[in-house]
Order: sequence, then structure tokens, then C-alpha cells
Amino acid sequence: MAPLFDRHRGEKQHEPARHVPPPPGPPPMPPPPVPPPAAPHDLPDRTAGNAPWTWGPDVAGHGPGPAPLRHPGRVPYPPDTTADQWGPVVVDRAVEAFDPVPPTGMSYRPDTICDGWSTAALDVRLASVRGYEHRHDGIQREDDAAMAWDQGTGTVVFAVADGVSEAHQPHIGSQLACRSAVDEMLSQVRNKGGFVADWHKLLSTVHWQLREQARRLLRLQEEAGVQETAELLGTTLVAGTATPTEHGVKVSVIWVGDSGVWQLRHDRIHALGGGKTTGPDGLLSSAVDPLPLVPAGVRPLSFVLEPGTVLLIGTDGFGDPLGDGEGAVGHLFRSELRFPVSPLRFAHLLDFSRETFGDDRTLIALWPRETSPGAPR
Amino acid sequence: MKESNRGHLLPIYVLADESASMYEHIDDLNDGLRSLHQALLGEPMAAAKVRFSVLGFSDDVIERLHQVDLRGANEFPRLHTRGSTSYAAAFDDLTDRIPVDVKDLKSQGYQVHRPAVFFLSDGAPNGGENWQETLRRLTDRTVTPAAPNIIACGIGDADAETINKVATRPEFGFVADKGVDVGAAIAKFCAALTKSVIASGRSLDSSNPHLQVDKPEGFTVAIDVI
Repeated sequence: MAPLFDRHRGEKQHEPARHVPPPPGPPPMPPPPVPPPAAPHDLPDRTAGNAPWTWGPDVAGHGPGPAPLRHPGRVPYPPDTTADQWGPVVVDRAVEAFDPVPPTGMSYRPDTICDGWSTAALDVRLASVRGYEHRHDGIQREDDAAMAWDQGTGTVVFAVADGVSEAHQPHIGSQLACRSAVDEMLSQVRNKGGFVADWHKLLSTVHWQLREQARRLLRLQEEAGVQETAELLGTTLVAGTATPTEHGVKVSVIWVGDSGVWQLRHDRIHALGGGKTTGPDGLLSSAVDPLPLVPAGVRPLSFVLEPGTVLLIGTDGFGDPLGDGEGAVGHLFRSELRFPVSPLRFAHLLDFSRETFGDDRTLIALWPRETSPGAPR
Repeated sequence: MKESNRGHLLPIYVLADESASMYEHIDDLNDGLRSLHQALLGEPMAAAKVRFSVLGFSDDVIERLHQVDLRGANEFPRLHTRGSTSYAAAFDDLTDRIPVDVKDLKSQGYQVHRPAVFFLSDGAPNGGENWQETLRRLTDRTVTPAAPNIIACGIGDADAETINKVATRPEFGFVADKGVDVGAAIAKFCAALTKSVIASGRSLDSSNPHLQVDKPEGFTVAIDVI
């Protein structure tokens, strides 16, 4: 039986599958040689070996491999020469290796979701991954995200949310906040020529959706109160639109709580809003006023997304390790997200392993296109 | 490369009474701290977020362990009994020490949560010392911005009112129930400390990082005893 923990330090016991060196990094490596054709293998045995699905460094392709199973007559697969590319991207020192525990809960909630597509004006990627702490403790992913597209105006609407851990059903809160925000934004975009005209209505819609869901869950005859809704479904939210105009892609975005918005521009990551702050005492402060609480006077941040820049919208699971964007995590995303990556690669990057950072992570990235879909970049 | 956030850390200090009156129980305390170390080795993700210091105080303070990542510690140092019970020396030391430690962690690129001090004493402080003033300087956030949360536990002859004053919140002060074996009380203190360290370390990734403090078994909240 595989141990739940590898109690040894990663760097002594393992050769990390992928490691991000701090800048200035080594010169770009030439592409790896194409492996020679190999003799066909039978299906690998996923049950053999020590911990083939272990989260942490050295997940695959290192150490003794699984013994091949023999299935006479079965069409063999070629060897999986890319297996070692799917271990976590290690930044600095990896989270200790362990076997993830399935989440408890009444309904299925995947560990990881990712999505991605392109419009005439934008390339878009989305990923939400369960944090290492939640994998370790058998808790479901409390972050969520959603995005959609209005075909008439080409506007992309997006939302990310981080259910408050102390709430009883944070995953429902974050999912409902994202879905209802995206639906409301789409509705306004379709009626208002590509823009959200009433941001207060957007937050009000999410607020009431959460309270209505709380009423159902609590089986109340009357509407649920704000406080009891917060204790059940409290969640942060970042919601916004990206609308193609003759002057470029116009972005409008609002946020409630400590999820944030950043822009990757000129090889630097600039914080635009949200996120956590350090207090005047120099210590970390992370007080969150989540939805359904709606702060007074919320106004959207609006700007034109210049070509060559990337808009990033994420929860604190991404924002905290990112910091000011100048560290190793910032280096990873600055270098990897200069151009759109595949949705799977996007989720893989977001699932990087760095010790002490075990929160759920959710990120949406938007790249303004300078050419039409499918054209070379 | 200057890291702005290599990780979130919670500095934890065990401030343990090494005065002569602890002679019969110091081995219990050393055993309890060893158990804590072993328990944290089994919780590496929580342990990664804690930097652990052990300070023994009597006439002065001796640093037994300083800002250690317990995952990499081979041996846990032993506390030794000696001298009297100077609370003033203990709080003075922390007033000087904590800002330096926090600055050191921040200079390494870590973001630092408010430190926590677990204070354990078995008797009354030395007479004639104005330890209340040194405690005020330590816990006044206008004087010491990184002022710690102090969880105070009294065993043996410790006075509930004194322990309540040392704790930074009423619910952070505990005294062992009368008649409880001191050695057993120390073991319970260490068990509660271990639980608190692990739970607090885990909470650093939540949207509401907090210092989790549970009443040690066989203890009563000090203010309830007063």
C-alpha cells in the first residue's frame, strides 16, 4: 500500500518532474530530440508501483516504473514517453508528496476543470484546481469559474469565485456566484450592445441568487438572511466583460473580496485590483467581506486591453503565491503565458507545487488577438 | 531575485518556565515537546508553515530552538531547570526578539502572520518586578507592531489571575484544574499545543487564517477560575 506521506524532503528523495529556475534562467533549451520508435508495450499497470497518482514531485517517469501487464491479444499502446511531463511544475520547493483523498460531499465535483477557446478578438483559457491542502484533507474544490461568449457582439464574459472556507457549502456559493454572474452579464450584454450597463444589478442578482439558494438549502419558508447566507454560501467574486471595439478590446471588471485582477504587460505582472494586502504592522491581513455582502459604491475598472498584453483574473490561491509578480511564481507565468497555451497546459501550470501554498487556485486568462482565429501568430 | 512571497509563515514561540520549581516536571515537558515534534513530522504541510522557537525562562531567557522548520530538525533540545521565575525577563526578551525574527522572515521573502506565544508556568512571578509593564510593551501593537497573541497556561502553583493577565485574550488563559497531576497537565498542554500548531498551520491557506486555540484537557479558562 502506498504511504499517505513521503516524510522525506522532496529535493533529497526525488528528482522533481519539472522545475522552474529563478530568473535569470538558463538559456532556452533546444527542443528535445524525437525519441526513436520503441517496441510496442502492453498497457501499463496503474495499480503497480508505489504511488502512480501521487501529488507531489516525482510522480511519473522517475524511479522504478510499473510492471507491464500482459494481455494476450489486446492491441498494445505505444510507450507513454510524455508521462514524466505531467508531474507538477515545481517552484522552489515542492509540497510534500501524498495521495489525494477523495472529496466528501453529496454531489460530484471534479478536482480540476479547464476550458479554452478563441473568438475573433480573444484567446481565452480557464482553469480551476483543487488545492493541495484540500486534496490532502479530502475537501472539495471551493473555487469556481465560468465564462461565455455573446456571438452578436463578440463579447466575452467571465467570472471567478472563491467560496469562503468557513462557510458550510462554499463550493455551492462560488459555483452559483459564477453562473449567475455570467448569466446576468450575458443578458445585459445582449441587450446593451456588448456592455454591462448596470453593475449594481449584477451584484444584486448574485446576492439574491445566493439568498434564494440558502433559503432552499435551509428549507426556510421566508427568505434567508444575509448573515446566514454568508455562513452557508459566502464567496468572493470577480466578474467582467471583454468587448471588441474599434479601439481594441474594452475590459470592464468588478470584484468583491480578495480575488484579483492582473495584467501581464511588458514582461511584468501588474495588479489591477482585489487581492490581499499587508497591514501597516507589516503582517499579513486577510479579512474578507464576501458576497452576499455587497460593498457600497462598487464601480467597475474599465480599460482597453492592449495587444501584447494578457488579462489575468484569479482567486487568492493564485494571487498569494504570485505576490508582486517578481518572484519565481511570477516568472513562471510571465514566461509561460506570453502566448496562449493549451487548456490542459494552462491547468497544469496553475497546479504548480510550491510549499506553503495549498489553497484552491482558479485563473482565467485573456489574450487579445491581433489576427483572426487560426492565423499564425 | 527578490521574492515578495515565498510563502505564508506563522512564528510560534514556546515560552517555558525553567525555574527550580519545575524540577520534577521538566522531563514531562521535554517529552511533550518531543511528541509535538513527532506529530508535526506526520503533518508536513502544516509544519511547513510554522517556524518554531523554544525559549526557557527563569532569571533570564535561554534560547533552546530558534525559528526552526521542524521538518528538518533532527533533535529537539531539552529544557533544564534553573533559578527563579522572572516574567519580566521573559517578556523583555520577546519584545526584542519578535520584531527581529519577523523582519528576518520577511527579508527571506515570506509573508508573516501575527506570532503566537504559548506560555507555560508553574508558579508566581518574582516579587518586585514590574512584569506588567514589560508585558504591556510586548502586547501593545502601537509599541510592538508584530505584538504576539499569547496563550498562557498555568500549572501547579500558578495563579489564575496572573495567567489571565498574561493571556492576550480571556479565552487564551488556562489553569490546570486543582488536584490534577502536574505531569499529566503538562502532557495535556503539549497535546493541545500540538493540535493548535497543526490547525493554525492548516488555516493559513483558508480565507480566514486564524490562531486556533483549544482548551487543554483538565484545564479551565483562567477567567472562570478568578
